[in-house]
Amino acid sequence: MSLRCRSALLLCLALVVSAPQMALAHAAIMEAEVAQAIRLHAFYETGEPMSQAQVIIYAPDDPAQVWGQGIADMDGRYEFIPDAIAGRWSVQVRQAGHGVMAHLEIGANAPVITVSSTPDTWAQRALMVALVAWGALGTALYARSRKGKPDASA
Amino acid sequence: MRKTACLAAAFCIVAPALHADSLTLFATGEDLATAGFTAPKLTRDGWALEFSRIMVSFDQITAWQSNPPFMADGPEIFGEALVFPGPVIVDLVDADEDDRVKLASMVAAPGHYNALSWALVPAASGEIEGYSLVLEGVARKDGQDVAFTLRSADAMMHACGEYMGDTRKGFVTDDSAGDLEITLHLDHLFGRADKGAEDETNIAALGFDSFAAGGVYEFSLGDLHVGHVGEGHCHVTSM
Repeated sequence: MSLRCRSALLLCLALVVSAPQMALAHAAIMEAEVAQAIRLHAFYETGEPMSQAQVIIYAPDDPAQVWGQGIADMDGRYEFIPDAIAGRWSVQVRQAGHGVMAHLEIGANAPVITVSSTPDTWAQRALMVALVAWGALGTALYARSRKGKPDASA
Repeated sequence: MRKTACLAAAFCIVAPALHADSLTLFATGEDLATAGFTAPKLTRDGWALEFSRIMVSFDQITAWQSNPPFMADGPEIFGEALVFPGPVIVDLVDADEDDRVKLASMVAAPGHYNALSWALVPAASGEIEGYSLVLEGVARKDGQDVAFTLRSADAMMHACGEYMGDTRKGFVTDDSAGDLEITLHLDHLFGRADKGAEDETNIAALGFDSFAAGGVYEFSLGDLHVGHVGEGHCHVTSM
């Protein structure tokens, strides 16, 4: 399910590149679309990042099942591109036996409306998650290169 | 065909008695209750603990469908409430293979029960009368065996957000039953030797050295925040 995180874009690129090659050998075509993504930053109240914390994402249409999961980077950051499903998306971040849950509402036009997260009041420590929508320009990147001659069989 | 019928019959016999429209509550002290504190999970001060019983008195247990989701940031939960009968006194050592003890099961309206409130209250009668939490067992360190009884008379109200664990819990549908779990983190009492000295758990925890003479001790749950819902958190208020 981690294909839905940031690496999803790269995977899509790879598929776009490989598909035309079947029909047109030696031609490399790359298409990319800038999509709206969610950037998550998980850290403690002290500012210490939740490095390599487990991230689990639930979509609004089937909130009991995991939609995607992955591992935050060393800075406690994680990014994913949600499907075009309006409603409440929920994100869990877990580390060392403690977790935090955050919710974000995505409307029909995909803006992030609200974000809330669970504080951990134990021992004056808090886990925090900040969710920020970014990259909603909808522009496309198109690149194409051709190496060598076209395959005669194509 | 006969074999299939037999298998179906057998399944019906052993299947848990959970109705599709029900919500079942469990309590757990996790493996630290059932298996004890064993290496490398010793107490922060190096004691192995084996519990003979961990008696807990719960009351005022209520599952909630809160919208927006309750975030354990205060004592009050708003939403549709499902109140469970109480009080309930259980032994967390006498648990199932998943380290859980069933508290109660009730018919529940479909929905997502995403918050849970419950109280630790002193038992009004019985073996642990006057106490909300009693831990009994043997502690071992450097060839020394120490029998102990640790007990707390504190009354603590817990307002918890959504259960957090390997699976998301609390969903009741027309086709499936739901469950929720009260989780007592015993390492908040005793600390953990396999965590660093600067770990928040070890800084706040009691450890066991102060009970090393053995016998009966009383302690305060204070700000130890033992009560959780899985790895999810609770707002705790003294009653």
